Amino acid sequence: MLDNGWGLSLIVFLPLVGALIILLTPKKNLAAIKAFGLTFTALPLIIAVFLIARFDYGAGSAFQFGTDLSWITSINARYHIGVDGISFPMLILSTILTLLALIYSFNHWPEPYNPKAFSALILVLGTAMNGTFVALDLVLFFVFFELVLLPMYFMIGIWGDKTMMKVPGFRIEAETRLYAAIKFFVFTLFGSAFMLLGFLALYYRSGDVAPFVRTFDIPTLISMGSAGAFTGTFAFLVFGALFLGFAVKVPMWPLHTWLPDAHTAAPTVGSVLLAGILLKLGSYGFIRISLPILPQEAQRWAPAIAILAVIGIIYGALACLAQSDMKRLIAFSSVGHMGFVMLGISTLTVVGINAAVIGMVAHGLITGLLFFVAGSMSHRYHTREMVRLGGNQKLMPKMGAILGFTAIASLGLPGLAGFWGEFMSLVGSYNPLAGLDLGVFRTAMVFGAIGTVLTAGYMLWMLQRVNLGEPSAEWGGHALVDADSYELAAWVPLMVLIVAVGVFPKLVFGATNSAVVSLVTKAFGG
Amino acid sequence: MIDYLALAPEIVIAATAVVVLLADMWIVRKYWTAIIAVVGTTAAAIPLVVLAVSPVGERSLFEGSYVVDPFALVMKGVFLMAAYVVLLMSFSYVESDRYYQGEYYFLLLLSILGSLVLASARDLIGLFIGIELVATPMYVLAGFRKGDLKSNEAALKYYLLGVLASAMLLYGSSFVFGLTGELTFAGIASHAGGLVHEPAFIMAVLFIIAGVGFKVSAVPFHFWAPDTYEGAPTPITAYLSVSSKAAGFVALIAVTYRAFGPASAAWAPVVWVMAALSMTIANLTALKQDNIVRMLAYSSISHAGFMLVPFVVAPYVDAAGINGAVSATITYLVIYAFLNLGAFALVIAGSRKAGSGTVQGWAGMATYAPGLAFLGMLFFFGLAGIPPLAGWFAKFVMFRVVLTAGSGWAVGLAVIAAVNSVIALYYYARVIKSMWMDPVSVTVPDSEVRDAAVPMTLTLALGITAVAVVVLGVFPGIVTSFTF
Amino acid sequence: MVHASNGGVLAQWAWLIVVAPFVAMLAIIAFGKRMPRKGGEIAVTAMGFVFVYSAVLLILNIANGVIFEHSVQVAQIGSFTIEWGWVVDGLSTMMYFVVGTLSFLVFTYATGYMKGDVRETWFFAAFSLFAGAMLVLVSAPNLVQLIVGWEGVGLASYLLIGHYWEEKENSSAGMKAFYTNKIADIGLIIGAIVLGTAVGSFRYSDILDAAANNLSSLAPVAVAGGVLLFIGAMGKSAQFPFHVWLPDAMAGPTPVSSLMHAATMVTAGVYLVARMYPLYAGMASDMRVLIVIIGAITLLIAGLLAIVQDDLKRVLAYSTVSQLGYMIAALGAGGYTAGLFHLWTHAFFKGLLFLTAGSIIHAVHSNNMSDMGGLRKKMPVTFWSFTSASLALVAIIPFAGFFSKDEILATLGNNGYAWAMWIGILGAFITAFYMGRAMFLTFFGTYKGEAHVHESPKVMTVPMAILAVASLIAGWVNIPGVYEGFHHWVTERAITFPSFSAEGFDVAVMLTGLGFAIFGVIVSYLIYFRDADTQQARDRVRIPVLWPLLENKYYLDDLYLAVLVNPIKGPIARAVNWTNSYLIDGIVNGAGIVARYAARIVYGGLDQKGIDLAINTAAIVTGSAGEQARRLQTGKVQHYAAMTVAGLALLVIAIVIFI
Repeated sequence: MLDNGWGLSLIVFLPLVGALIILLTPKKNLAAIKAFGLTFTALPLIIAVFLIARFDYGAGSAFQFGTDLSWITSINARYHIGVDGISFPMLILSTILTLLALIYSFNHWPEPYNPKAFSALILVLGTAMNGTFVALDLVLFFVFFELVLLPMYFMIGIWGDKTMMKVPGFRIEAETRLYAAIKFFVFTLFGSAFMLLGFLALYYRSGDVAPFVRTFDIPTLISMGSAGAFTGTFAFLVFGALFLGFAVKVPMWPLHTWLPDAHTAAPTVGSVLLAGILLKLGSYGFIRISLPILPQEAQRWAPAIAILAVIGIIYGALACLAQSDMKRLIAFSSVGHMGFVMLGISTLTVVGINAAVIGMVAHGLITGLLFFVAGSMSHRYHTREMVRLGGNQKLMPKMGAILGFTAIASLGLPGLAGFWGEFMSLVGSYNPLAGLDLGVFRTAMVFGAIGTVLTAGYMLWMLQRVNLGEPSAEWGGHALVDADSYELAAWVPLMVLIVAVGVFPKLVFGATNSAVVSLVTKAFGG
Repeated sequence: MIDYLALAPEIVIAATAVVVLLADMWIVRKYWTAIIAVVGTTAAAIPLVVLAVSPVGERSLFEGSYVVDPFALVMKGVFLMAAYVVLLMSFSYVESDRYYQGEYYFLLLLSILGSLVLASARDLIGLFIGIELVATPMYVLAGFRKGDLKSNEAALKYYLLGVLASAMLLYGSSFVFGLTGELTFAGIASHAGGLVHEPAFIMAVLFIIAGVGFKVSAVPFHFWAPDTYEGAPTPITAYLSVSSKAAGFVALIAVTYRAFGPASAAWAPVVWVMAALSMTIANLTALKQDNIVRMLAYSSISHAGFMLVPFVVAPYVDAAGINGAVSATITYLVIYAFLNLGAFALVIAGSRKAGSGTVQGWAGMATYAPGLAFLGMLFFFGLAGIPPLAGWFAKFVMFRVVLTAGSGWAVGLAVIAAVNSVIALYYYARVIKSMWMDPVSVTVPDSEVRDAAVPMTLTLALGITAVAVVVLGVFPGIVTSFTF
Repeated sequence: MVHASNGGVLAQWAWLIVVAPFVAMLAIIAFGKRMPRKGGEIAVTAMGFVFVYSAVLLILNIANGVIFEHSVQVAQIGSFTIEWGWVVDGLSTMMYFVVGTLSFLVFTYATGYMKGDVRETWFFAAFSLFAGAMLVLVSAPNLVQLIVGWEGVGLASYLLIGHYWEEKENSSAGMKAFYTNKIADIGLIIGAIVLGTAVGSFRYSDILDAAANNLSSLAPVAVAGGVLLFIGAMGKSAQFPFHVWLPDAMAGPTPVSSLMHAATMVTAGVYLVARMYPLYAGMASDMRVLIVIIGAITLLIAGLLAIVQDDLKRVLAYSTVSQLGYMIAALGAGGYTAGLFHLWTHAFFKGLLFLTAGSIIHAVHSNNMSDMGGLRKKMPVTFWSFTSASLALVAIIPFAGFFSKDEILATLGNNGYAWAMWIGILGAFITAFYMGRAMFLTFFGTYKGEAHVHESPKVMTVPMAILAVASLIAGWVNIPGVYEGFHHWVTERAITFPSFSAEGFDVAVMLTGLGFAIFGVIVSYLIYFRDADTQQARDRVRIPVLWPLLENKYYLDDLYLAVLVNPIKGPIARAVNWTNSYLIDGIVNGAGIVARYAARIVYGGLDQKGIDLAINTAAIVTGSAGEQARRLQTGKVQHYAAMTVAGLALLVIAIVIFI
């Protein structure tokens, strides 16, 4: 009964229902708020797990558990949802992270303490993220894609970092949270405004192709696109418009500058969801929309994307080496890791795109965990300046060990989740889609490989500065409590998943491969 | 014989107006006039519904110079809805300031009558009467707060520039009559095609569009709007920014498509420029505004620009395309009406609580009036066009139409619109930021003023608009089922 | 070989020896702290199991050869399959045995050595992690799994070198090791990608078959792939110029140095070259000379460095680098057996040397030979073990090293690398000299330390004794003409070997090598032993030019720091960060600020104040209205009207443009 669209619809909208219920419960009744929050983030995960069992991995390329109902008849926008091997892992990841984020918040309500509003926002965010991954209609996708903005804007703006910061290059002083919040909002909206134009352009051109009905339906558009319906300058511009929308979200160099600020300013849970899911919406958009609908253009744009991706990898790593703020360092590391994801996508090969998907999952797990730990540490030390930290391993052995584990995972140690994305995207870029410039992509591979060294460089350096050495005297008096039960409850599952995906990547590839294969064969003929 | 059912809504409103005037003479408790007005407006909706469901598709009166068709019905619906909300907003506002309530509602009802007439007018005379009937009472109402110099200034500016506009409109109309010998739009249209390159005709078109441009307050005919909006009583401002603007668009649709349709090559460029300027200049200006009403004034100008965008495709598309463009503008109008009325209702409630109408004055409202702050989030982000709040769909249909043309000019305008929608976010977000993220402003009055309950009627107005904003955002089909 | 068995149930269950250490690790993390020996016993038990199982496999192989390979698919990506699996053949059984034996003995030794250490439990957990990763590496049937194990041991080495991370230099040493290897791994990874893509599979068996059958798609990239893989090997096996990390790695506890940085981990590179030997012998044979050159350079320069060290462990470290050079050179010259044979013998005696060094340091509480001397009487077991191992290293007949080193020299000579052979012989002299020096400075002469010296406990001495015996007999398994077992063990491979035979005795070479070795011992004897009291003084005699060069390790570290590390950490990174916040971000903020300025102009200038031109026009156009308006306390209206007219004019222009 959950197969015919109900399951997915529940996964998407239960959190929203929870948010409304929470808004109706009185502020004082914290227990009830927690209970509702837990229920309405746990249920989607339970349903998702149930669906995992029912998912037909053989037919990973087909959209499953879907439904297709009329929504806005006048413009032929439909409530068309479903998951295939590519979106399913992302959906599960997002349900997991939403739940863990909420559990973590239970004893980490950021200032100004307002559990009711905060957990409501987490739930709304959950709906938005899940919705984006199941949407199979451009309008529906757009709505969810944008719905993400509101809760994140408030999360950063209200619960964010209150310290004053100098806006670089100008004589303006602003509270970090306010600057970061509006910057995040405006950046993304700028991108998505053009993305919307792109969608509409596709909508119109789809009317010129059999069956001559203008449609926003993604599968239909894909079949049209792979049949070569969209070509020429038109398609080139449309791809550009979509590129703007998605590249800002990923973020790709040089559209990434909102990310360090947003991450640094956001409350812990905000950073976790931002890094864990929101960034993926961009790269997912490339895989789900840009590539299959505009294959010819994808091939024209691929080298440019590859170059930008590699610049992102090197650039992000170098920027990390210059950071003194732990959270900001982790934020910049996302630029590098998403660079690998985009490099994989740009190869337009089965290997590369598979790499991208597992890269997204791994980055979601690992960087999410990194932000959790970093947040908890700054919660304890009241600083993120690495010069003042140090000897954390002595003061908080458990937390130090977890931080170490995550940092090691983040530098792509083989056998842990992070490795596959990097390695396979290098494999892909050594041998990109026939017809793409080998020179560009093999150079990209070499620089990507160098990037892995730099990644190890800043991650271990961070560990040395934060975890190792003798604790500085200023913490002598403080009673620093090691990782508590809520934190462990939120972190251990992630650690287990990191190892599991690393040792048995089939957990992800098993679902993605057939989907990616059919995508590539349809769009690029092998 | 005359089809009185077709005229029923107008008759009801007219009658209500008279009753209000008479009642004002005898009744002691003046708020009864308001109640009568509300009842009258509601009653007017009944024949409207009857007309809507009646099998007769289109009712034409007076040799086709007065027509009741789906378009007219939808617009009348919008006008009555807006009027209803404005009346709700006025109730506590007017009573608290001890105005001449009878006259207030009488004039307001006359203006509403004008808008109803306008929706059905199909010749230049009906058009002119409608426009004047909408505007004239407003000249008075804008200055209704006699004690307040700003209010007087507002009224005067509105009056002088309004007169200038009417003059242009009349002047242009006379040219048209002279050139075509026709008054009905259909008749004019039959000649328009041949006159595209007739300078005199172009002059006429230009003057008429300029005249109507005042009503929709599009750049460069917007100068009266900010001062008038700021000075006039807030419910009247709301009415001006919604009903009066909508009336203007009805007129514009009438003249451009119905009368000068075949000559679209002549007026489309004009509208192109007006749209581009309205969006850009108004948005840039709004960035600097600290007074929220003034900011909303400029925002309404920029929205006028967005609503003008669909007109520019006229030369490039067929009849179906024209209908699409009209539908887009109307859809935009409906959604914008709810958003803007809500925003102004919020301004009344918020300013009362915060004791100030400035962005800084509203700082920290979330702490002492979370409900209002939440509504503010709905209305302002709705106006900014952030899904899933209604505004996104208005912009969506606008983009959708402008891209049909497939002409470089149209796409260029679409890009301008896209950039502007980002700029717009910035000043709307400023208010939200102030309400939600800034510490409570020092100017906020003491607790009993601050915690005073929002009047029931105002709450009702806020409730109606808020629900509409969310529901129409998630199910925009409801609107399009009427407008398409 | 054809007649080899498939190893039956024993080979099928061989994955147990890979899994056992990881199980041990988890167990130690879970209960270690609560156990009497802090988890050491768990580790030792696991290693005992590995030792026994590997011994059985070795015997099985000796008896009738084993060739078995099994893979479990863990992912299918397009045409690529990712598999975990295990290989049981001559080469891997030999490695299993080395790893198993040494691990078992060193772990046992460590339970004594690490007793009461600050992080005993953590130490054994990480140590087990190493053993596991090493076995993953050795058992790998494909390059991907090799990389997994490869980086795994790298991680373990990082963790254990930095075991005492309270001091910054220790953690820095760990990072240095990790980075140096990571850089080399670029070669390994790209090499794997190149070969894997060309063949369409990461399996050794497929790649080597392709190499054997001259697969056309492999031909153009074979040499490149070979070089790239070898770069990876150079990193792990500390070949010049990547050798710099190994001496610093001595910051770790001595058992770590013994097991990882002498006996097993550092031989991974050698193992990789041997594993891919058919490729190097076949399609990629053009680059073999490169392997020989690298090996030769390494064995020479490292040997020289060993002479000037005062830190006993560093002497042994450089000696290890030098011996790895021998193995690499041998493999390059086509001495498949020779290289592996030296790996085998070296594992025993070098592992032992470190254990003895540990036992000494344990007693003297100092790494420096200037604090030792005259320990012969005080630590008899240690002394005799050290002697046995040294003789093996110096290659004195009949000790283990003699046979393996002789085979290497012979190989170099017979396969046309005479120059390399002479470097090898010179190396033998150097080896003998620095080992003699170490021996005499440590055990003879007079004791100069403060600490009260005593022999180490049984748990440490017994493993030493066992290895001392091994250092004597380990070489007897491959005496040309007498018993060539080892050669047959390691040539039990699934792939068909290019024909080659174990080198026979070359009496001339043997005698020269032996002669140089003895000569080296004699020289060191003359310098350091004849007058026991002044040996230290004489050790401080400095040769003008050579000394500073060696003291500063040929200035290689400084070079890397100056050219690579510091620029990246410093200026480059800062520059990038600056660009980020001031250039790229500047554009963004700039846009915002421009918008504000524009707003001010539009609002303040155009919209509100009006323009003179407009005002003048106003006078003309709206005359009377203007008059009235001025009387009514605002002059603005006429401006507005004027602006309106201006607007009209603008629209006229628009029309002119459009039609």
